[in-house]
Amino acid sequence: MKNAIASVKQGLWWIWRHKVRTVVLLLVFSFLVPGPVRSQFLDPCCAILATGLSTISSTLSSVIGGGLNSILSVEKNISNFEQTVVWPQKLIAQAQSLVGNVQGIFNQIQGVMRVPVNSASLPATQQFEQNLLSRDPNQIAQTSAQYTAVYGAVPNPTAASPQTRDMVDMTDAAAQAAMKRAIEIDALADLELQAADQINQSIQTAAPGSAPIIEAQADAWLVRANAYTQSATADLMRVRAIDLANASANVKNGAANTAAIQQQIYNLLKRQ
Amino acid sequence: MVFLTNLLFGFVLAAFCYAMVSARTRRQLLALAVAGALAVALLGPPPAQAQGSLVTAIQSVLNVINGLIKTALNSINSVRTALSNLYQQATWPVALINQAKANVTQMIGQYRGLMQSIFTIDLKSATLPNPAALEAVMRNHQTSDFTSLTSSFGNTYGAVPNAATVSLADRTMMDMDDALAVDNLKTLKESDAADDLTLRAADNIENAASQAAPGSAPFLTATAVVASIQSQALTQKMLAAELRQEAAKLAHENALRKRGATLTGDVNTQILNLLQRK
Repeated sequence: MKNAIASVKQGLWWIWRHKVRTVVLLLVFSFLVPGPVRSQFLDPCCAILATGLSTISSTLSSVIGGGLNSILSVEKNISNFEQTVVWPQKLIAQAQSLVGNVQGIFNQIQGVMRVPVNSASLPATQQFEQNLLSRDPNQIAQTSAQYTAVYGAVPNPTAASPQTRDMVDMTDAAAQAAMKRAIEIDALADLELQAADQINQSIQTAAPGSAPIIEAQADAWLVRANAYTQSATADLMRVRAIDLANASANVKNGAANTAAIQQQIYNLLKRQ
Repeated sequence: MVFLTNLLFGFVLAAFCYAMVSARTRRQLLALAVAGALAVALLGPPPAQAQGSLVTAIQSVLNVINGLIKTALNSINSVRTALSNLYQQATWPVALINQAKANVTQMIGQYRGLMQSIFTIDLKSATLPNPAALEAVMRNHQTSDFTSLTSSFGNTYGAVPNAATVSLADRTMMDMDDALAVDNLKTLKESDAADDLTLRAADNIENAASQAAPGSAPFLTATAVVASIQSQALTQKMLAAELRQEAAKLAHENALRKRGATLTGDVNTQILNLLQRK
């Protein structure tokens, strides 16, 4: 007991001697002492916080949750409409299978159109016919020679008048050009059929959104095909125009020949 | 982590207390006091907020929810609703889609049978056996009987004469004319068969259109355009055949003209020779 009292006295004496140190230490301890914990029930700050959070929660539920639910319902409605009315998967698959079906029909048509039609029986005509039905533009170079072998050449200047030779040459030219154009058109038609096959295959694997792009390409091919048809029609018209011109030239020659004969008869009669 | 922090804090505090107790000079004491004050100032917890600012914060959150967010959600909702209405009432109205499909079905019923009955009217008119046989084979839309066509053509128009009976030029021209005529008759049989198939393709596309949806219709229009290209190609093949035929007709007439010119020249020469002899 005596020792304890002596120790306390010694401590107090140390404090009395080191006042500054004691004050600094007390200040540091007072700052570092942990603060009291606030009770959830008694502290008004927690009550306000709880009420605020509860209000925020109910507001989130009603305003944001309600708004999002309305949007979700509209979105569901749109999605359902698009899936059942606008882009029903079943009808899209049906349309794609129809494309395959139509392609099958056109494959049959191509098979039919490739059945050979050649009919000539003599060597020269067989060769010429083979050239005309070849659908091969590389064979156009041989068309003129084979044409001449079948239909003959332009007569020599000693054998026919210049007018007749001009007419014969022009007619041969128009006929040969038309035959060459026929080979070209056959080859072009084959290429168009090939392209149509490719486009049809693209349609079978397309999506409703990409099909119009393929359709636009097909439209472009159709325009091109129309141009080739027009070109073939133009050559047909040229052939018929030359035919008409020949008929007219025959009448003109007939008139000229009649006048010449009349003149010669008149000369003969005058001599007698 | 928290334990380590507490341990470090206790260690620093003990070191500080020991240094305060054992400091020997006033300068050491002053330095320790300044260091302690700085540590307290830097490591001390921030002052607590007043209750009033918490209420304001909560209110501002509520204001944001009830103002900005609510308005935005309402706007999104009204835009999506308008879009939904646009789809269902203006762009793809179900009633009009059904009406269009019904229209297709109605037109199929109205036209298809009628057009087919017109197209299949029998056009054959020949009366004699050979021409009747040729006409029948020409118009039967078959591509497997080209031999009968060739023989019927020979029966009606005759065969190319023997080499002994006509000149080579005449035989060649006759053979070429016959060949091109028969080629074209065969091409026409192919084209008739192709027409039947093309009409079947058109029927299939129209049938599909009567059951289509707006989203599947682009496939049908695309394949219809492709079918048009193919049909155009077939038309070109027929035009090519017609070109060959017209050109051959022109060439035939021209060959006669060449021969006429040569014969006229020969006759002139012979008359001149006759007159010279006299």
